[in-house]
Amino acid sequence: MKSFEFFAAKDSNHAVTLLAQHAANAKVKIIAGGTDLLADLKFAAHGPDVVVDISRADDLKNITMTEQGLNIGALVTHTQIMRSPLICQLFPALVDAAHTIGAVQTRNLGTLGGNLVTAVPSMDSGPTLMALEAIVTIAGNGGRRQVPLSEFFVGPRKTILKPDELLTEIIIPKQNVGKPTHFLKFGLRKGQALALVNVAASFWVDWEKNAFLAPRIALGAVAPKVIRAPQAEAYLEGRTITPEAMAEAGRVAVGDAKPISDFRASAEYRRHLVAVLTKRALEGAWALAQTRRLEGSNGKRNA
Amino acid sequence: MANVTLKVNGETRSASVPPETTLLRLLRDQFNLTGAKLGCDVGDCGACTVIVDGQPVNSCLMLVGQVEGREVLTIEGLATADHLHALQKLFEHFGSLQCGFCGPGVILSAKALLDENPDPSTQEIRDALGGNLCRCTGYTKMIEAIKGAACILRGEEVPAVKSA
Repeated sequence: MKSFEFFAAKDSNHAVTLLAQHAANAKVKIIAGGTDLLADLKFAAHGPDVVVDISRADDLKNITMTEQGLNIGALVTHTQIMRSPLICQLFPALVDAAHTIGAVQTRNLGTLGGNLVTAVPSMDSGPTLMALEAIVTIAGNGGRRQVPLSEFFVGPRKTILKPDELLTEIIIPKQNVGKPTHFLKFGLRKGQALALVNVAASFWVDWEKNAFLAPRIALGAVAPKVIRAPQAEAYLEGRTITPEAMAEAGRVAVGDAKPISDFRASAEYRRHLVAVLTKRALEGAWALAQTRRLEGSNGKRNA
Repeated sequence: MANVTLKVNGETRSASVPPETTLLRLLRDQFNLTGAKLGCDVGDCGACTVIVDGQPVNSCLMLVGQVEGREVLTIEGLATADHLHALQKLFEHFGSLQCGFCGPGVILSAKALLDENPDPSTQEIRDALGGNLCRCTGYTKMIEAIKGAACILRGEEVPAVKSA
């Protein structure tokens, strides 16, 4: 690895101060879990001049319910997500997504914020959060701003973060807390594999009409960034929930995807996976909605 | 240079190294603890696995500045000169390793699992070893050894094993 200066931030404000000090006249990288950054830097021809370590910023490690919704600190690790009683209860899809990332060692180090900031199109945290219309908070020298996650990603490994900015939290907005959601990933192995395609589906149920309400579908690894599937969502909105409708939504979602062929899979195979996984993700969310209704919990809006 | 002080296998150790040094390099090159292996160096193979503050991690993916003040357990800290850990005993008993390069990492992953889950299922053991690549054994005898060690650590007898 190329040599760099190292600064440890005590908390997020300190990190922002350090970034403001150094980002103007040096190439700065933030390290959190390090699972992507260090793997990259070991092969990089040009490394950063300065590395700011935020792994001790305890104010970014909380999972809390706030006025705005479910608030997940950017430094929450994938292991923490898997063990959070709040997330297990409200969003098993986030737990499933976290479980498919890397392996135990990398899940202990890797963070939710890091997974998003790296902005690899096949990231496993992206689809569920996109389907749940998550919002991210960005801290910079001028204060904090919030943007929808869908606007956070620019392209492969590119986000809207400026060099002196820090992702601090991910918020699932209140109106989507408890929304039945299901995540599926197809990789070539169960562990340590990138997704060929990953999909999250989320919807409320209009139980009187037995119909889809506010359906949201998000697809990973089939475009330069994690995307929503607007045509499939429009197809489902207000439609009666049937196995046929879910299968058709899968076929429609193929039209929303723009996959490429690479050494892991052909574009044609990825399109096939989009149809199958979208259908199955919808089935999974439907099963969860029904279970929650039986249990009398929040499987529907305005319960 | 970065000055780092941390606890390794219960002992306080310090070093002055360039800040781009990884925990793995620190352990191997400064402290002569070569149990953790340098395999892929990017977090895929798990040969460098050590336990930091109770959690198994890839030591190749942590910078020294990130382990300042933390507690690290390496394979060298698991046994004393005359007393092997139950996992080590059973790995030996079952012949769970062949070339052995992955061994320290596998055993530490297994230890972290058993610390949290004293009676893991086969699937739970497989999941815990998902980040430890072994190209010799096929994992079967490791899983038998981990189940056996779990019995010992629970104070039960190790059941007779068919294949042994």
